[in-house]
Amino acid sequence: MRSASAPVRTNRRLLTLLAAASGATLLLAGCTAAAPEAASTPTAGGTLVYASGDAEPDCLDPHVGGNYPQALVAGQFLESLVSLDEDGAIIPWLATTWTASDDGLTWDFTLRDDVTFTDGTPLNAEAVKVNVEHLKNPDTQSSTGYLALGKVESVEVVDDTTARFHLSTPDSALLESLAQPWVAIESPAGIARGMDENCLAPIGTGPFVVEEWVQQDHLTLARNDDYTSAPADAAHDGAPYLEGIEWRFIPDSASRYAALQSGEVDVIDNAQPDTIAQATKNGSLVEIDAPRPGASNRIELNSSRAPFDDVRVREAFIRAADVNDGIDSLFFGTATRSYSVLSSVEPLGYSDEKLFTTDLDAANSLLDDAGWTTRDSDGYRTKDGKRLTLRFPVSTNQSIPAEQSLFEQIQATAKEAGFEVVISPLDISGWYGALFSDSYELVSAPYTKIGPDVLRTLYDSAGITPAPSGYFANLAQLNDPELDELLRSAASTSDTEERASLYEQAQKIILGGFYALPLYDQQNHFLLSTSVKGARAMPTVSTPTFADAWLSE
Amino acid sequence: MGSAVRRTLGRLAGALFVLWAVATLTFFAIHLVPGDPAQAILGGPGSQASQEALDRVRADYGLDQPLLVQYFAMLGRLVTGNLGDSYALRMPVAELIGGQLAGTVVLALLALLVAWLLAIGLALWSTAPGRVSRAVAQGVELTAASLPQFWLATVLIAVFSTALGWLPAVSTGTPTGLVLPVITLAVPLAGFLAQLMREHLLIALEQPFALSARARGESATGIRLRHALRHAALPGINLSGWAVGYLISGAVVVETIFARPGLGRTLLRAVELRDVPVVLGVVLLVALVYVVMTFVTDALSRVADPRLRQEARP
Repeated sequence: MRSASAPVRTNRRLLTLLAAASGATLLLAGCTAAAPEAASTPTAGGTLVYASGDAEPDCLDPHVGGNYPQALVAGQFLESLVSLDEDGAIIPWLATTWTASDDGLTWDFTLRDDVTFTDGTPLNAEAVKVNVEHLKNPDTQSSTGYLALGKVESVEVVDDTTARFHLSTPDSALLESLAQPWVAIESPAGIARGMDENCLAPIGTGPFVVEEWVQQDHLTLARNDDYTSAPADAAHDGAPYLEGIEWRFIPDSASRYAALQSGEVDVIDNAQPDTIAQATKNGSLVEIDAPRPGASNRIELNSSRAPFDDVRVREAFIRAADVNDGIDSLFFGTATRSYSVLSSVEPLGYSDEKLFTTDLDAANSLLDDAGWTTRDSDGYRTKDGKRLTLRFPVSTNQSIPAEQSLFEQIQATAKEAGFEVVISPLDISGWYGALFSDSYELVSAPYTKIGPDVLRTLYDSAGITPAPSGYFANLAQLNDPELDELLRSAASTSDTEERASLYEQAQKIILGGFYALPLYDQQNHFLLSTSVKGARAMPTVSTPTFADAWLSE
Repeated sequence: MGSAVRRTLGRLAGALFVLWAVATLTFFAIHLVPGDPAQAILGGPGSQASQEALDRVRADYGLDQPLLVQYFAMLGRLVTGNLGDSYALRMPVAELIGGQLAGTVVLALLALLVAWLLAIGLALWSTAPGRVSRAVAQGVELTAASLPQFWLATVLIAVFSTALGWLPAVSTGTPTGLVLPVITLAVPLAGFLAQLMREHLLIALEQPFALSARARGESATGIRLRHALRHAALPGINLSGWAVGYLISGAVVVETIFARPGLGRTLLRAVELRDVPVVLGVVLLVALVYVVMTFVTDALSRVADPRLRQEARP
């Protein structure tokens, strides 16, 4: 479990709402710290009911597309070559050992020789080769897994248990990439059935097997009685205690919580701040707080054109936006302010709190310096007759209500400095549309990936493709050759100390240039009935695993 | 050619026109909303599609074609009865709708039935003589009719699931799981129907036939049940066509809150992903049901009101 208690924060300037918020925080910390103890001995049997608030996947094979909802469920039946422990170190899973050549271009993975997929196909080097080819085949329509294997050219079968990866350039993030559920290893026979069939029930080596998928209702997962391939940090080896999992999709957060309260379901994800505070108060529920790896939740400032091509205007916005009071009042102590563009679970994350202190006077003088000296009748600053307007498309699928309210508070505080923030709530397709037509000055786009190489995806100038057609992840449109060089060197160095130092320098450029306003980690809260024991979030991308779970009572 | 045949042909042409207009409006409306279906097809939130993959998807689904070309391709497909394949789910739209239809039909029909029973009961009770029930009923109807479904659903869950523990908060696939969704849909509809019926019951009760029936010795209840109710039912029957639209839009809310599989949820998701073939398929189905319902309510009106049958004869 990533972290079991929410830190109690003091020393915030807010007076009235703070009392209520910190009261909830104290209760929360008290409850969660004591809760998930594995005191009794596990008992076998029973079906766990899981209710997901994430979108139901279109395809259960995370090779296809590759998003978080797929990772959530695929983690129950698919496994990867390596995993992470709680400290972020790589540990064995389907591969027991690995070695890289001196030039970093050849990696040998030794596989376990005693694992079979649930269809009886043996796990061997040939299977790994088939999976990599499947991910790299354009027909698979892989996006996340395809990017993760960007530097892998081919896999060579040395012998049954040795798979040799040939790389085009050294990749310091290879192991982190391979730990992700989007490059999990599936049965070659399963893949050979074709996309339509494989999407309905991918075949893996995991603790559970897909038995049935009733679309828009539930998935039935059955125990894999022959399960032997737990990751190195698992609590026990062998078949799971649970007979199975009923995996349901309940999009409405209030209904999801009500179903948990009334005992219809045992575990829910996407728990909202208010319900977490309420749930942990009565002690009948347990929280798992598992922030996602990769980037933090942050607001990117589009630096490609006016007004944010001027660093003074970017800094003015960041100094004007009062984030902390909003987080305190809206998240009931469930979220901690971040001052880093990387998640707090990333060991190489770098924070700098003093860059983000709120200071309205500083904001005003920065804007005066930048030439935004006049104000119109609505109180917004203008320059050459043009209002200081920031368009902010917000994805209602990705931003929870508390976050949308936080954006409104930022809007209100930025107005005091003379910024007009225009928030447009959009559904997911409309939001992508706004991004790719480059019609935004502010945007919050979560990005989940293991390791600091996510910085290269988000801030390398190669991630800026001219609008309107292209996809790009560099939404700050940060274009700095020095930063590119740092990120590219970091991605290919094999020296861990050098890597850490390069990433620190890179993050200093990003934070110091005021290209992004960090908010908090990507929130990922699960609520569990107290009868569920032994469940945890994987330290990889924080998806839940029930391989060691059992139901007491 | 008899007038009945001519009327039927006219109706059929009208129905086809409605379906074409609905398909056209829906098609252009969904394209007017900014969005990128290719991105949604490749995994939606949190996935990071490569440019190659996006280009490929756009070519595969014809999304790189001019809009008018896409429009006529769609019309051509529809004329041959082919609803096409879902972008996101990679399966035929007809199959997808077929799988989700039953859930919504059961929900809608039960809600319609419950709404009618509630409305008739309320209308009869509120028009009974010698009671102060009218003002109360008026208040109840107005409140019921203006209740937002999401609010009603939340309150029902809070009371009957969380507090009392009598009924499941989300669909369980069992009959008990249907109770709260049906009530959520039925109550506001019953409010509308009851308002309309009470008004017409009162008008009917003031008619001379009510007096003469009374003179023949019919009881007050008898008059309302055997004579006036027929008059009051007419506008209600006519409203049932509209009710179909209400029930489908209600199903979007109710199926999402109670996590029931069905067309409403399918439609919501398809709109979010700009899954044009699915949106068109569901909307056309609803339009078709609406057209059929107007036929049926028309026929029912003839059963309830002999005067309409008279007029129809040449």
